Amino acid sequence: MSTFEQYLAIGVVIPLISFVMLAFFGHRIGKPAAGWVATVAIMLSCVLSGMVFFRWMGLPESERTELTAGAARYTWAYLGTLPITVGVKLDSLTVAMYFMVTFVAGFIHVFSIGYMAGHSDEVDGVSKYHRFFAYLSLFCFSMLGLVISSSLLFMFIFWELVGLCSYLLIGFYFDRKYASNAAMKAFITNRVGDFGFLCGLMLVVLYLGTFDLDQAAVTFELASVNASEAPMAHTSAFAQDWMARAGPEAASTASANATRAMALFTMPVGFLGFGFTLATLMGIGLFCGAIGKSAQVPLQVWLPDAMAGPTPVSALIHAATMVAAGVYLVARIYRLLTPSAQMFIAVIGCATLTIAALIAIVQTDIKKVLAYSTLSQLGYMIFGMGVGAWTAALFHLITHAFFKALMFLGSGQVIEGCHHEQDIRKMGGLRSKMPVTCWTFFIGVLAIAGFGLPGAHLGVGGYFSKDEILAVAYDRSHHWDVGEHMPEWMDPHAPAVPHERREGMRLEPHGAAPIRAGHGLVAGASASAEEGHGEDVHSASARLPILQNMPPLPRGMFWLALIIAYVTPFYMMRCWWLTFMGKPRDHHVHEHAHETPMMYVPLIVLAIGTFVSSYLWFRPLLAHVAPAATDAAMVVGLDGAAEAGHAAAAGEFINLHAAHEFLNPRVGWSWLAGFLVAWLIYRSGLATAQKLVKLPFVGTAHHVLENKLYFDHVYDFVLVRGCVGLAKLCRYVFDALVDGIVNVSAALTARFASWTGRQLDMPIQRGDLGLVDAVVNGVAEGMFRLGDGVRRPQSAGRIRVYVMVAAGSAAIVLLAVLFGPQIVDGISAWMKTTAEAKASVP
Amino acid sequence: MTIGLTHYLILSAAMFACGVMCMMLKRNAVGVLVGIELLLNAANVNFVAFARYRTGAMDGQIAAVFVILLAAAEAAIAIAIFMNFYNNAATIDVDRGATLRG
Amino acid sequence: MFEAVMFYLFGGVALVSAIGCVASSNIVRVACWLLGALGGVAGLYFLNFANLLGAIQLIVYAGGTLLLIIFGIMLTSKSPWITYNPKRWEVVTAVCVGAALFAGTAIATLSAGLKPGEAPMTANATVKQIGTELLTSYLVPFEAASVLLLAVLIGAAYLARAEKR
Repeated sequence: MSTFEQYLAIGVVIPLISFVMLAFFGHRIGKPAAGWVATVAIMLSCVLSGMVFFRWMGLPESERTELTAGAARYTWAYLGTLPITVGVKLDSLTVAMYFMVTFVAGFIHVFSIGYMAGHSDEVDGVSKYHRFFAYLSLFCFSMLGLVISSSLLFMFIFWELVGLCSYLLIGFYFDRKYASNAAMKAFITNRVGDFGFLCGLMLVVLYLGTFDLDQAAVTFELASVNASEAPMAHTSAFAQDWMARAGPEAASTASANATRAMALFTMPVGFLGFGFTLATLMGIGLFCGAIGKSAQVPLQVWLPDAMAGPTPVSALIHAATMVAAGVYLVARIYRLLTPSAQMFIAVIGCATLTIAALIAIVQTDIKKVLAYSTLSQLGYMIFGMGVGAWTAALFHLITHAFFKALMFLGSGQVIEGCHHEQDIRKMGGLRSKMPVTCWTFFIGVLAIAGFGLPGAHLGVGGYFSKDEILAVAYDRSHHWDVGEHMPEWMDPHAPAVPHERREGMRLEPHGAAPIRAGHGLVAGASASAEEGHGEDVHSASARLPILQNMPPLPRGMFWLALIIAYVTPFYMMRCWWLTFMGKPRDHHVHEHAHETPMMYVPLIVLAIGTFVSSYLWFRPLLAHVAPAATDAAMVVGLDGAAEAGHAAAAGEFINLHAAHEFLNPRVGWSWLAGFLVAWLIYRSGLATAQKLVKLPFVGTAHHVLENKLYFDHVYDFVLVRGCVGLAKLCRYVFDALVDGIVNVSAALTARFASWTGRQLDMPIQRGDLGLVDAVVNGVAEGMFRLGDGVRRPQSAGRIRVYVMVAAGSAAIVLLAVLFGPQIVDGISAWMKTTAEAKASVP
Repeated sequence: MTIGLTHYLILSAAMFACGVMCMMLKRNAVGVLVGIELLLNAANVNFVAFARYRTGAMDGQIAAVFVILLAAAEAAIAIAIFMNFYNNAATIDVDRGATLRG
Repeated sequence: MFEAVMFYLFGGVALVSAIGCVASSNIVRVACWLLGALGGVAGLYFLNFANLLGAIQLIVYAGGTLLLIIFGIMLTSKSPWITYNPKRWEVVTAVCVGAALFAGTAIATLSAGLKPGEAPMTANATVKQIGTELLTSYLVPFEAASVLLLAVLIGAAYLARAEKR
């Protein structure tokens, strides 16, 4: 275990210790001290991770690779023959994420002390102050554990822990109905996604036979190579390196598993007319976890509600950690994603970034604006992952973490200063009362809007990261010359192929390479070469061969992402302007406004962090790790490959220069445009906006957006009412059926009884009517009672009757099974004899 | 005379039938629980007898261990539910527990 | 011979106690009869080379579960139905169902013609063997069971907590 791993592991444990201390002795530690315990803990982690970070920066690439590959793995337990390994996943991505998480979380802790000082922390007269910090510590522990996990199983465990913490923190004010509801909503929505994650995990274990990320990736790649029948030499450098290092035993295990895992590619799974391979399904399953955690469409509904938690929690969950976990997961499983799975991811991301940005325009709660902007930015990241901008998406994740934490904490300062007023319509003019918050917040707005000067290498935050995502998307959508390399199913002129056969099938003699797995890239090239596309081989080698199998991105998706880049600055400027600029609209709020150093110092630090993270350290680190994380996979984000020396292929392959030349005039000034429009509308308060809303079309759109595109309504209608309705229907049917049968039979018996009575009456008209009547009526009434008695236990759900029915039917079935053949034999024998007897009679 | 697998199975069948009858005849919830315990014990006798006579391995005994564990867990939860029911309804008559409203 | 005697002894105890459980109308007596049944079954375990199981049966069942049941009875003793004489039709149905179940199972057993396996057990299963099995081949059920127990612990504590009035 290298010192790096040790430092990182210790850094994970420190918050856990703090959690245990606070959980058990928190009430004795007392009010401010408990906060400091948690803060010191995360700060220690931050120092450790800083040491790792800067030492790692100083290492030459060869040593980094050595450390990554040499990271220790311990076998913790065996599930049958399946080993569960524990280890630290040590690479540049881990180091960068870890540093970002500890740094941001550390300052969120500092801010929290200031924030909680002014907030009630009592429920039923009991202080929950220490509990709040205990949860924060547990959250940090889980998040850091998630970041360093080397195995999918541990990722999943920490993943669930993160979910639990978010539940606890969102529902911190659990005596308030909306908070506990929001917590439950977040938890349950996440479970939906986690179910998919679990299914994906099962497929991984079933077919790839390991939990370890690296081994799974290598096995997956070998399987894809096997499935395409290419020689083994065509595996990626990563896989070859892993096989060489892992030793003969692990290598043979991987090969053996790979043979089994070929089923992933050869087994088509049809669904609603779409053809998938199992491999794609596995990737989508794993991604479902990210849909839940990163709040992508259609599970995005929980995040805005999660604003019910204390504001530092919003910052921690919605900026630095939990929502980033989804993107991080996708980054980690990137090698397990097939192109179809990536396309799915891109579609989901694109939908999210659009929907969220549109809804953000009409929000009036300062935290909700930020929540929707977070959703939209997460959409960009997921979209980036989907289109192959691996580096750019992670870079955006990191810059976003800084500036979004900054803005959330700023909003916390505003809310705290304005006595829990969250409505931006009532704010305005806070610039003079809280200058530091105002201008640091403005830096955040600049960063998210993508402020920068095209032409000069000058900008902040999103200017670099978001534009890079857009650049890759542009290349994928406009310059994707699939041409002769187009797989048969994508070629519009090719004869129709059944859906099930579209993907993952063996090579057809004359078809182009249908290896749909992300890792069969080299194999794809060689396959097409073997098939006589001789003259294309040279041009093919200039491009990463896998890309020949990649579908081009639909242009609409790129344009959507580009247009939303104009919407982002608009809603952010609207929020900032309404809050801080103009004239105060509510004097009560304005008079109370103030800011405290405990809370604005973290703002300043994070503002500096926003600048630094845009320029220094992170981008090169991520670019460094990109080839190892993706090389066989798909696109190495732009210049990432160039820096890492994998240049030739990737650099030529994505025409970064052309993409930027195209984008610069089109989106480079989007921040200015958005700002200008927002300024024009809101410079004199809300009057213009109110006039605009009165316009017919705008009003409708506004109404629809205010209702969040009716997602909640639809879910409520379909899921909640659906369930209740189904239950009611079942009950109705049950009642009608059972009661009906019994009642009808009882009524029939009664009719029959009275009918017989009347028949009897007729001949004995002068006889003793009383007696006969009494008998008849008695019978009828008895039947009624019996019917009633039979009915009641059934509809009332009496356990003993259930037992009786169950056991009785079991006995009957048992006896029927035992004696059924004999009875049948007996009957047939009897019939035979009677038939014989009949035959013999005449 | 030698005792074989069949003897154990017949005995277990009888105990099983007793358990079922016990569940049907008791209105006290604890009585129903006792019936369930009898059922589980009957099943356990089967497991152990099969392990001895047929497989000759640990598997049956392990299954029995799990059954005992589940029975203990089930009894704990059941008694807790009865207490709760008793707190709310002042009775533990199973026939009165027909509504799910607690 | 010895085994036959012991089988009939323990089996008889178990069966008579089980019938006692069914027949007693007082719930306290039912619990006492259950003790007999559990003890008899424990004896059968000992007879079947399952010493550990027998011990567990006595400790967990007779010691723990039964105690729990008795507590359950005592804590709810104000309830009616401490004694309950089932109605005649209930008894008739129950006996019919029970008899049918017994008959079915017994006939199935007898007609199956079960023979001993190839390698019947001849020695006591040691604790070590069972422990090894539990932690290797049966690790997943074992872990699942531990999680279940934890859930039960929390659930029982939650369900049976003192009501806030």
